[in-house]
Amino acid sequence: MPETLICVEQLQKFFPPARSGWRAFLQPFERATSVALAGISLEVRDGEAVALLGTNGAGKSTLLKILATLVLPTSGKASVAGHDTVEDSRAVRRQLGYHAGTDHGFYPRLTGRQNLLFFGRLNRLSQTAASKRIVSLAQRFHLEDSLDRQVRTLSTGTMQRLSLARAVLHEPCVLLLDEPTRSLDAIAAAGFRRYLKNEILRRGNTSLLFASHTLSEVEMLANRVAIIEKGRLLACDTPAALKRYTSSDTMDEVFLRITGRANPGGAHGDSAADSESASS
Amino acid sequence: MSPISVRRTLPNAWREVWLFFWRDVLIARTYRTAFLLESVEALFGAAMLYYVARFVDSPSLERALPQAGGYFAFSLVGFIFLDYLSVSLDSFDRSLQEARDSGTLEHLLVTQTSLPVLVAGSAIYPFVVTTVRIAIYIVWGVAFFHFPLYAANWLGVFAMLAATLLAFCGLGIFSASYLLLFKRGNPGKWFFLSISSVTGGMLFPVSILPDWLQFVAHLNPVSYALDGMRTALLGGAGFSALLHPLGVLLAFAAVLLPSSVFVFAWALKRTKMNGTLTHS
Repeated sequence: MPETLICVEQLQKFFPPARSGWRAFLQPFERATSVALAGISLEVRDGEAVALLGTNGAGKSTLLKILATLVLPTSGKASVAGHDTVEDSRAVRRQLGYHAGTDHGFYPRLTGRQNLLFFGRLNRLSQTAASKRIVSLAQRFHLEDSLDRQVRTLSTGTMQRLSLARAVLHEPCVLLLDEPTRSLDAIAAAGFRRYLKNEILRRGNTSLLFASHTLSEVEMLANRVAIIEKGRLLACDTPAALKRYTSSDTMDEVFLRITGRANPGGAHGDSAADSESASS
Repeated sequence: MSPISVRRTLPNAWREVWLFFWRDVLIARTYRTAFLLESVEALFGAAMLYYVARFVDSPSLERALPQAGGYFAFSLVGFIFLDYLSVSLDSFDRSLQEARDSGTLEHLLVTQTSLPVLVAGSAIYPFVVTTVRIAIYIVWGVAFFHFPLYAANWLGVFAMLAATLLAFCGLGIFSASYLLLFKRGNPGKWFFLSISSVTGGMLFPVSILPDWLQFVAHLNPVSYALDGMRTALLGGAGFSALLHPLGVLLAFAAVLLPSSVFVFAWALKRTKMNGTLTHS
């Protein structure tokens, strides 16, 4: 029986309401009333890839940030490799590779290599090991020509590849990726999926939890798919099982049926805007 | 061999502080003329104070000043010390703000670096640069404007600098905590700098102030730091004369440093609770 690497139990997260003007000074001390996660339980086993699927604001990024120790849960428990994300956050971070979906987080005036070296060294890689690994990842992610250019001169897609390289640089046993192929062109996105599938997941010693709106990516990579809506876990199973339960042919249909957006006539009606982001 | 690998044997915390420092050196190297321009600026700054001193110096003023060197030496020490005070108060929240705005803060917080190392590491470069800038001011002062260094007690100067640094770092970390929590600059910092410009004894001796302002000056660590620095640098006094200002500054440091780190950790926790780590 594979070991559970990520364990989430009855996880709840409420945020205080956003304020502006002078009320912003009270915001840090206001009661958290806005629901982001409403009691999610989930497990990711050793070597398993689990996709988080949901509309914008469903709670996917919040869940990933809690696991990355960047956000504290309101109640419930989350652990990575047996370490509690609140009580033992340093031990959790030792196991993690994290890629945030919304920004790239590099020093713009440093080169790609200098940036990777800095973050690799902070993750306890030696100078030699980090340098070798950077060269190998640069080949894998087609970054050879960009590695010695200042990050501020790189395209959005190249920065995204650099950010993914940073997440896997220190060979973590748990990868948390928030929309990993966003901003990548089709070729780069396919290349990264192949890398994840053939070199990370096939080795079997890395677990992957990722959020994505690209359903082909979800089907290609995920052993199981967790569908989240308004902070609640609606379903979590293999893509094949989810299709079977919902009598669907595609993950698009699975998603629409499970979230209650598909109407009996087959037309998606007012769910179109939401399903658009969930479609590949 | 790069400076990073030279220090491979240092314990992790020191190694990481060095990594932060080296990161900032690499960034600073991309602004090629900055050092030259700052050196020229220091020359003009020293010249301005010299000519102001020539304008105001009189035998009665010299008698009113506690140390040798006339008003030029007195004001130059005060002026460069203001620089040091500003960087102590600014460097922590500025580095935090830059990390937040560039998106690197999240990525730093998911590395294995501890919070105190992150805070100290990000501030060390500005301190080193300010120390170098102060040295340049003094070199210009000695070379062109007869700044009196013949009596300096260098050990005393460095002891005063170290104690000052420790005492003021606490204030800087408090300021960073405020920024983390409220996302805005700290009005307390502005108030402290304003109060210090009057009661710190930077451009005139504290003894000319009315009694109640002298009382305020006695509560302000800046007045002790400046008094001790002038005593060591201009008066050439031995350690026995520095014991009082050193003791006061170390007492301030003993209270401010741990309490500021505690408040920063609390502010970070609060920010993680509210999910506003990356908000600006």
